[in-house]
Amino acid sequence: MTALRYVLRDTWRLIVHHWVLGLLTLITAGVMLWVLGVTTLLSLNMENLLSRLESELAVQAYMVRDNTINAEEVARKIQALDGVHSIKTYSPSESLSKLQQKMGSQSRALEMLGDNPIPWNFEIHVNSASDVEPLVEALKSMPEIDDVVYAGLVVKRISALSRISSRIALVMFVLAVIITALVVYNTIHISLYSRREEIGIMYLVGATKAYIATPFVLEGTLLAFLGALIAGGGIIGAYFPGIELIRENLPLLTNIIITDRAVIWRFCGLLAGFGATLGWVCSYLVVTRFINSITRPE
Amino acid sequence: MNIQFSGVSKIFEPDIAALVDISINIQQGEFVYVIGQTGSGKSTLLRLITREILPTRGVVAVGGYDLGRMRKADIPYYRRDVGLVAQDFKLIPTLTVYENIAFVMEAMSVPKRLVSQRTKDVINQVGLWRRRSMRPAQLSGGEQQRVAIARALANSPSLFIADEPTGNLDFYTAAEVMKILFAINAAGVTVVMSTHNQGIVNSSRQRVIELESGRLVRDEKGGLYTE
Repeated sequence: MTALRYVLRDTWRLIVHHWVLGLLTLITAGVMLWVLGVTTLLSLNMENLLSRLESELAVQAYMVRDNTINAEEVARKIQALDGVHSIKTYSPSESLSKLQQKMGSQSRALEMLGDNPIPWNFEIHVNSASDVEPLVEALKSMPEIDDVVYAGLVVKRISALSRISSRIALVMFVLAVIITALVVYNTIHISLYSRREEIGIMYLVGATKAYIATPFVLEGTLLAFLGALIAGGGIIGAYFPGIELIRENLPLLTNIIITDRAVIWRFCGLLAGFGATLGWVCSYLVVTRFINSITRPE
Repeated sequence: MNIQFSGVSKIFEPDIAALVDISINIQQGEFVYVIGQTGSGKSTLLRLITREILPTRGVVAVGGYDLGRMRKADIPYYRRDVGLVAQDFKLIPTLTVYENIAFVMEAMSVPKRLVSQRTKDVINQVGLWRRRSMRPAQLSGGEQQRVAIARALANSPSLFIADEPTGNLDFYTAAEVMKILFAINAAGVTVVMSTHNQGIVNSSRQRVIELESGRLVRDEKGGLYTE
């Protein structure tokens, strides 16, 4: 307890002593973590949108007209293929009545066809857009399947969009982490460098390395944590009014984007935890390295 | 705390022999002057005792422990038992006199009440209580030296190392500092002090270890500055 009190006092002294540098670090960490948070939220919303579109993507496979083939067996074979999320089997009569429902008053035109021309068919939902193309290839190679119908271009575009969005989010995430880490690392390094003589003296008169290092590590952790809190505040301040704006102008989108306030609060909590961890790791690395280098005997 | 040097040599890069084959034995409670010209190896000898540097050859043992084999984690605990007064004082410029002394005990997690009492005691011992709120830059050289002595006394060390503690002081201030060092020694603490001051060495007639170009040329009890 006594040691903790001394360490906290020394941490406060460090922050006060380098308050300008600390403020700059706080602002930079805040901005970078805000960028990181916003990018992650955008990416999550994009994922939401894409998964919604993907869940609505369906491949229609029509069976060959052959009474000796069991449709349920074919359905089981399709279910076993890669990327298949769910499958619905439609008999010729079910398919016809569905078509009649869709056509409404024009359904009488179907009577002109005579016998029901629709074979047994399957509505297949996939796990993700990227699964569609391989699945279509696999279906085409099945002798029991006569024809496969799917929205090829849409699938390709969604798949490409999903890949690009993930990559952009990853690049932004890595950049934000690197910049925040560098800023914290440099601030603590400057703090250490300006007190290198003091550190040497402390070690010489019997202070342990942990006692010397802890205030510096706490300083870095605290700065990054406060930066993350500022970023979280900025995200909440921008996101919630944004949701209201969308609710008023584009109500359809509210079913797709994340609107649950509890989720956003939890996300900001995670961001604060991430900031503190990042600050701790960077400070620990620079402090350990620095103290070891100046206390090493010749 | 006794000190033993056995065949100790220290060679700095690229090839500067600061100490060559030194073997000495200092007993608990002794007062020892280390003398010699500038560059003779006095500071190197003291820095080996505080384990700021390690010998290139030989063994330095303090209180029975081989400093070269000491675990890194044990170094701070060893140093708490060694009071150090450096020629350049090594005070922390941003702290007051009081804080410079108190932090040595704070680093050992000594409770605040005890830190206050002990700090007050040692500041009074060196006669600087009225200067306790000043920073080192506001003090004279002699006062700074006394703060360094007070700090070295804070943990009640068994061994006191002083590297030219009177080097920058006038005659009267040097005499005051020596009075404090003799009082520390009288309490049973081993004192090893390097000096150029002939007057001090000749007036107190303690054991004298003389170095010349890193070699031990004299080890004499009750010796004078010059033979």
